[in-house]
Amino acid sequence: MDNLASLFHGFSVALSFHHIFLMLVGILLGILVGVLPGLGAPNGVSLLLPLTFTMDPVAAIILLTSMYWGALFGGSTTSILFNIPGEPSSVATTFDGYPLAQKGKATEALSYAFLSAGFGALVGVIVITLLSGVVQKFALRFSAPEYFAVYFLAFCSFIGLGGAPVLKTVVSIGCGFALAAVGMDSVSGSLRLTFEFDALLAGISFLVVVIGLFGIGELILTVEEGLQLKGIEARVRPSDVLRTMAMMPRHWATLLRSALVGCWMGITPGGPTAASFMSYGLARRFSKYRQGFGKGEPDGIIAPETADHSAGTAAMLPMLALGIPGSATAAVMLGGLMIWGLNPGPMLFVERPDFVWGLIASMYLGNVIGVILVLATVPMFASILRIPFAIIGPAIVVICFVGAYTVGSRPFDLWVALGFGFVGYLFKKLNYPIAPLILAMVIGDKAEDAFRQSLIMSKGALSVFWSNALVGTLMALALLLLVWPVAARVLFGGGRSSAP
Amino acid sequence: MISRKAAEIGLASVTALFGTVIAYGATEFGVGWAPSGPEPGTFPFYIGLIVLVASLANMVAALVAGDGTPLLERSHLKDVARFVVPMIGFVILALLLGIYVATFVYLLGTMRVQGRYGWGRSIAVSLGLPLGLYALMEKAFQVPLLKGPLEALIGL
Repeated sequence: MDNLASLFHGFSVALSFHHIFLMLVGILLGILVGVLPGLGAPNGVSLLLPLTFTMDPVAAIILLTSMYWGALFGGSTTSILFNIPGEPSSVATTFDGYPLAQKGKATEALSYAFLSAGFGALVGVIVITLLSGVVQKFALRFSAPEYFAVYFLAFCSFIGLGGAPVLKTVVSIGCGFALAAVGMDSVSGSLRLTFEFDALLAGISFLVVVIGLFGIGELILTVEEGLQLKGIEARVRPSDVLRTMAMMPRHWATLLRSALVGCWMGITPGGPTAASFMSYGLARRFSKYRQGFGKGEPDGIIAPETADHSAGTAAMLPMLALGIPGSATAAVMLGGLMIWGLNPGPMLFVERPDFVWGLIASMYLGNVIGVILVLATVPMFASILRIPFAIIGPAIVVICFVGAYTVGSRPFDLWVALGFGFVGYLFKKLNYPIAPLILAMVIGDKAEDAFRQSLIMSKGALSVFWSNALVGTLMALALLLLVWPVAARVLFGGGRSSAP
Repeated sequence: MISRKAAEIGLASVTALFGTVIAYGATEFGVGWAPSGPEPGTFPFYIGLIVLVASLANMVAALVAGDGTPLLERSHLKDVARFVVPMIGFVILALLLGIYVATFVYLLGTMRVQGRYGWGRSIAVSLGLPLGLYALMEKAFQVPLLKGPLEALIGL
């Protein structure tokens, strides 16, 4: 019951006028970036992060997480109304959300999406509340080899469960680590891999890379795919919302299953995108109305939305307790934590309970406020998308480069953002996953430090990673995930039918 | 037209080169064992090698089984160029004249030429955004953006 007492303390931190105000601002900004093409949650949080450098960490994290919730809601809005996923994680929502909206039931589609998103997020926060004590006690037993094993596990699960081609995921992770190594080495203090370029002395900021990969890259892709806004009118009728609300309990099985899938994928870094696809596939397999999927089946909206949001929320648990982000956005926030001078990991719960529990309490509030706010503001945000791309596209370009500059006031970063914009575009075209690169960039130094400290402890023997039951289990699990794609093909036959 | 296969091979060569550069650059700092533990270059060296090997494997995969369909339709290539070229122009302009002036020129240009808007609306939007940014960044958040000779001239 320690957790409950801590949670109430958290509510006393979160429930101040200032924090609720930031929550509202964050959610509205989040919906905006979620709705706008090219601006998603990871990118939105990166753009806002430099403006929080001087803020109190509790206020800053509330602002950023609220923005994340808002972006998730905004992403589903455009999926349903315009058939354009505002976020990669809301792609699965287009499958049934848009057809249902086309049938003239846009309000129902949106309500199903937001209500199940709210439900998924609440399950995610409850899981965090219940598990954080356990994870924290567990993590306090960690020393360098265990930390490295957990980082290793995170990357292996990307390779094994991420769904992207295995070797391309490896390249993506490796590039992230390599980029993280540029600049000052945190152990020896030597300046590495700068190749005599002054601009590289300070390293390459992951925030600028995120803005390039996710922002500029996504914009180029949007242009190529031809932004066609065949929008459906979005007028939200309260009576329809209430009617949909009354229908929700009928979908309890889908809701629960999807929330569990989401929590699992959020805690093991599979991420919200993989969670939403997996959950959609499962919902279709178990549904009595399989034929209705793809034509506007409510379960086809509920499943990906619930999983998306519970994964997004649950990803905060490993971020706080272990310092391992479960999604690209969580990775950016983790970077933020370090910039604000906090040290993510089990000691955070001991040193800054006000921060951790204030954040968890704000997640309860933020999601409830989010559902109401997004239902109220959908028509307004949908109208933003009707602004022609000739205006909104360049405006987003400007905002991305302004964001890249504010990270460190370095003109060189404009080139970095532009360059990574092209890289992001090519990576997406050729099916290289981007999230692992960001993750590797953010935790690269920490993973390397853990690796080196482990080897110092063992005087260079790699057997240190099997020196006790805990680290051995983690490493074995990681290696199992690593060979999973190959093993699955051998076990379940080569002709695996393509997943939806 | 660039085929998907060619693009796969091209990108794999770039990542292979990147891995090589990282691994080579790391050798400068020692990649072995020193009395104080692994030398600073060790970790990046092996990361570079992993990237190199995985890239080569990707390259072989593309050579063997790459599909020859074009990466981009010709019409899409034109759309992308129409978006990317002004964006590069914006970056160069921002470095020369500062972000505010570059924003004005960039928006005015794209709205007039690509959006075919009238002068009135184009000027209103392309002046509005930098002014709004100025109010938000410099006044509200006190975060200065890159400025150029024009701002110096009017004493900002």
